[in-house]
Amino acid sequence: MIRALTTRRTEMAPFLLLLPAIATMLFVVALPLVFSLWTSLTPYKLTKPDTLYDFIWFRNYIRIFADWDFWEAFLRTIAFLTVAINLEFALGLGIALLINKITWGQRGLRTIMMFPMMFSPILVGFQFKFLFNDHIGVVNNALQSLGLTDQAIPWLVDANLAMFSITLAEVWMSTSVFAILLLAGLFAMPRDPLEAARVDGCNPWQVFRHITLPFLMPFAYIAMAIRSLDVARAYDLVAVMTDGGPAGRTELLWTLIARTGYDEAKMGQANAMAYISTILSVLFTWHFYRKLVAARRYMGGAE
Amino acid sequence: MTVSVESRASKQAKKVALWLATFLLMLVMCVPGLWVVLSAFRPNREILAKPPVWVPEELSLVNFGKIFGFGAEQVGIPVGSYFTNSLIIALTSTVIALIIGVAGGYSFARYRFRFKGGIFLGLMLFRAVPGIALSLPVFMMWSRLGLVDTKLGLIIVYVSLNVPFTIWLIDGFFRQIPQALSEAAQVDGCTRWQAFWKIEFPLAKSGIAAAGVFAFLTSWNEFALASQLTRSTDSKTLPVGLLDFTAQFTIDWAGMCAMAVIIIIPALILTFIVQKHLIAGLTFGGVKG
Amino acid sequence: MKLKATLVLGTALVALALPATAQDYGTFDGYTLRVKLIGGAQYEPLYAEIPKWEAATGAKVEIVSSKNHFELDKEIKQDIAAGTLDWCVGSNHTSFAPQYGDIYIDLNGVIAPEVIADFVPLAISQSTVNDRLVQLPRHSDVSNLFYQKSLYEDEANKTGFKEKYGYDLAPPETWNQVKDQAIFFSNPPDFYGFQFVGKDEAVNGRFYEMLVANGGAMFDENWNPTFNSAAGVEALQFFVDLYEAKAVPVGVPNYTWDDTGLGFASGSIALNLDWGGWSTFFNDPANSKVAGNVGLVRAPMGSGGKRTGWSGSHSFSITEGCDNKEAAASFLTFLTSYDNQMVEARKGLLPTRTQVWVDAIAEFEGAGNAFSAEVMKTFQTSMAEDAFTPPLIPEWIEVSNVMWPKLQAAIVGDMTAQEALDAAQAEAAVIMSDAGYN
Repeated sequence: MIRALTTRRTEMAPFLLLLPAIATMLFVVALPLVFSLWTSLTPYKLTKPDTLYDFIWFRNYIRIFADWDFWEAFLRTIAFLTVAINLEFALGLGIALLINKITWGQRGLRTIMMFPMMFSPILVGFQFKFLFNDHIGVVNNALQSLGLTDQAIPWLVDANLAMFSITLAEVWMSTSVFAILLLAGLFAMPRDPLEAARVDGCNPWQVFRHITLPFLMPFAYIAMAIRSLDVARAYDLVAVMTDGGPAGRTELLWTLIARTGYDEAKMGQANAMAYISTILSVLFTWHFYRKLVAARRYMGGAE
Repeated sequence: MTVSVESRASKQAKKVALWLATFLLMLVMCVPGLWVVLSAFRPNREILAKPPVWVPEELSLVNFGKIFGFGAEQVGIPVGSYFTNSLIIALTSTVIALIIGVAGGYSFARYRFRFKGGIFLGLMLFRAVPGIALSLPVFMMWSRLGLVDTKLGLIIVYVSLNVPFTIWLIDGFFRQIPQALSEAAQVDGCTRWQAFWKIEFPLAKSGIAAAGVFAFLTSWNEFALASQLTRSTDSKTLPVGLLDFTAQFTIDWAGMCAMAVIIIIPALILTFIVQKHLIAGLTFGGVKG
Repeated sequence: MKLKATLVLGTALVALALPATAQDYGTFDGYTLRVKLIGGAQYEPLYAEIPKWEAATGAKVEIVSSKNHFELDKEIKQDIAAGTLDWCVGSNHTSFAPQYGDIYIDLNGVIAPEVIADFVPLAISQSTVNDRLVQLPRHSDVSNLFYQKSLYEDEANKTGFKEKYGYDLAPPETWNQVKDQAIFFSNPPDFYGFQFVGKDEAVNGRFYEMLVANGGAMFDENWNPTFNSAAGVEALQFFVDLYEAKAVPVGVPNYTWDDTGLGFASGSIALNLDWGGWSTFFNDPANSKVAGNVGLVRAPMGSGGKRTGWSGSHSFSITEGCDNKEAAASFLTFLTSYDNQMVEARKGLLPTRTQVWVDAIAEFEGAGNAFSAEVMKTFQTSMAEDAFTPPLIPEWIEVSNVMWPKLQAAIVGDMTAQEALDAAQAEAAVIMSDAGYN
């Protein structure tokens, strides 16, 4: 019976195999996106369901494009993503290189390395909010006890420090993902070119720069692509830590959307912003995917 | 290995030093998390104190007792049902995502067909849509379908969260397994299905395990969508349950930390068990296009 | 048509309730009542009583949702949007109720008038939106001023304060005294005289009550925003001054209730304007360093001679689509009954029934629990005399959301108080005019 099915399916096989995946994505993502596109063209208010049927063309979009607060949040989100993802890459690379050198007890160390991945983003938010509390938080308490400062440092209030603190929390939460993927890359690395380079008298930095790093780049882009799929997860922790404040200093697109859509119930306008945030996320992912394809091609040529 | 001039002893010492340094670095990295774990065993009075209490004066299981409703204070958070819900939802969605992902990954790795690159990229990009953009429309659809506050509703969402990454990983993994193996099996009289099931699938075990860990951790810790789509003990998961420790004006941070430990431990154990496959799985998967 | 139905139902209920004792909740054999209740440790003891109602009436209660306040608000908005209001009884709050339009029924006529008469009149009037009693208050919240007693008994503090400010050191009666004392007690970064919540609707509530205490108003009679008046600037300036004087922790613009409560419990804050819900926590040695050292006075007066008293009540409502409003009304009556309010009052929640106030205080005194009795008395007075809610209009949250970032801007020094309020006023005016008020 299986044989019969197989022959009949040969033509269609790849599509049939992909069907569940495509169906899931269409059902859970594409359909809702169509709905939210529609709502973004209406003055839809959650508490007034009838407003769903007033078509107002692009008024929501025009309104947000004219709103400087929106653009500020937009640019801040891009800056936040760029800084966070690059930092995570750099730190993850360092950790991966270090762990790669360990031969004994590596399994345990790798598990410890992945420890932050066990933390739900909402928990990370509370955790860093209390760590960074200016008055009774552990960070300031430690700095004061060690005599490094006699001030209460406003980690979550100062314009620069607040973004720093949020970025740090995000980096803490997600560096492990980079580290584990880059470590996998190091494991996959063929030994021969390394040996050859050493024999040719290259110093460790040259070996790293010209052999290890290019080999790792596809892994790095995979990690970045995967991370950019999931960056909006940072919303949970920003919402708890600062919720965009104070005075809008840490406002990101996601906090703005959530407040507009749920607190103020202005879902139409929120979905217009959400659409722009979607495009942003998609562009980030696409960018890293392109880089990945390019890096693979480069590797293919080198081999 | 090149023969080194260094004596065995000094080489050994270097190794130990490197290990210790790495271990300490990992520890420092973990401090913000360890603080949460430690707080779970301390009273509120000591955790957020001024002047700070660095050396715990008392460690106890009181916070855990409170969660389970032992002792004088009957907080009674239904942690049992949250735990069961989380486990069922995370495991089921992981298994389904793996099945769908293996089918999809195999298809990308072994077949040539039209729009292949487009479909692949499309699947990835759909995953990039932020949860905040999806939460309301998904809720509206789910409520029409009666999926709100059901485990199934959340399972479907989590499957879609995990399918793209799983496909990506497994596609890469299957490409590493020489096609000749399955072709040889088919020449020997196996059907394609048998060749897959007996030869290729066992070889892909590590890749599947790695994808599984990522999928499990994603579902286990997800908060944003779960908080929208769950409502009662029928489907509320552990991360959503964390908010039970907050009231309008108050918070029990020590209790929340205790709950956090309950969330972290199963995930940590699973990660440790699968660790061996994890690296191998990620190594083969993904890179080579 | 609808009115008639309500009247008939009401009469039926009254007829049903009159001959019976207070314990008679009717009979609803085999009926399953679907309810959404606010969840969280503080609220669970009441829900443990529900089996009693089930036993008395033969009905079953199905808790279809249990979440914290803000999550429940989101959920109810989703329900309105998706048309899934397929439940009967929901937890509500006086501040949120106006947003929900007419999804909840008017309880006048559904709940027996003599039951309603047993409640604190102010709590009932605050539960009324557009002359409809859309909710039955469960427990109330208002803030009063907690302080560390030892600071006021310390001789050095007494003489030092008198020398500097020319009047005796005593728990403050006015907000100007709070400012003096806060500055006097502060020793940053180890100790602060005062603190306030600095974000979200919380900071707006604090500003709003100060505005009212100073004799100002949020809106004029035509719903034009008027909070940028002299009284408003004075109110905001109070927070700005304390922040600049470092008499409050530098992180307050990011504080919400959890931060202020935990801060006071850490023993390094002198004065803390906070909700009654924290009092048990503050006086519990396992949770708080100030246990045994906590004093409480009524919220001080602003320059207008009025005390701050931003207030609200947790409550229960019945949906318009409920298929058995009689059972729902019986359930509401049960949840807010004398016995059950006593259960919650013993846990430190502020009751809404007049008699429960009296008896809970007597019970605490009888048990030698002077602290809890004192807390109850103070809150009883402020609930009866000082409490007022934010404007009960659907636009309140939206107006609040344009205001608080501006308030923060003034507090952290990005704008002056006047500039910040003018900017917020302009945005609030647009919202009000969009909503068709003027």
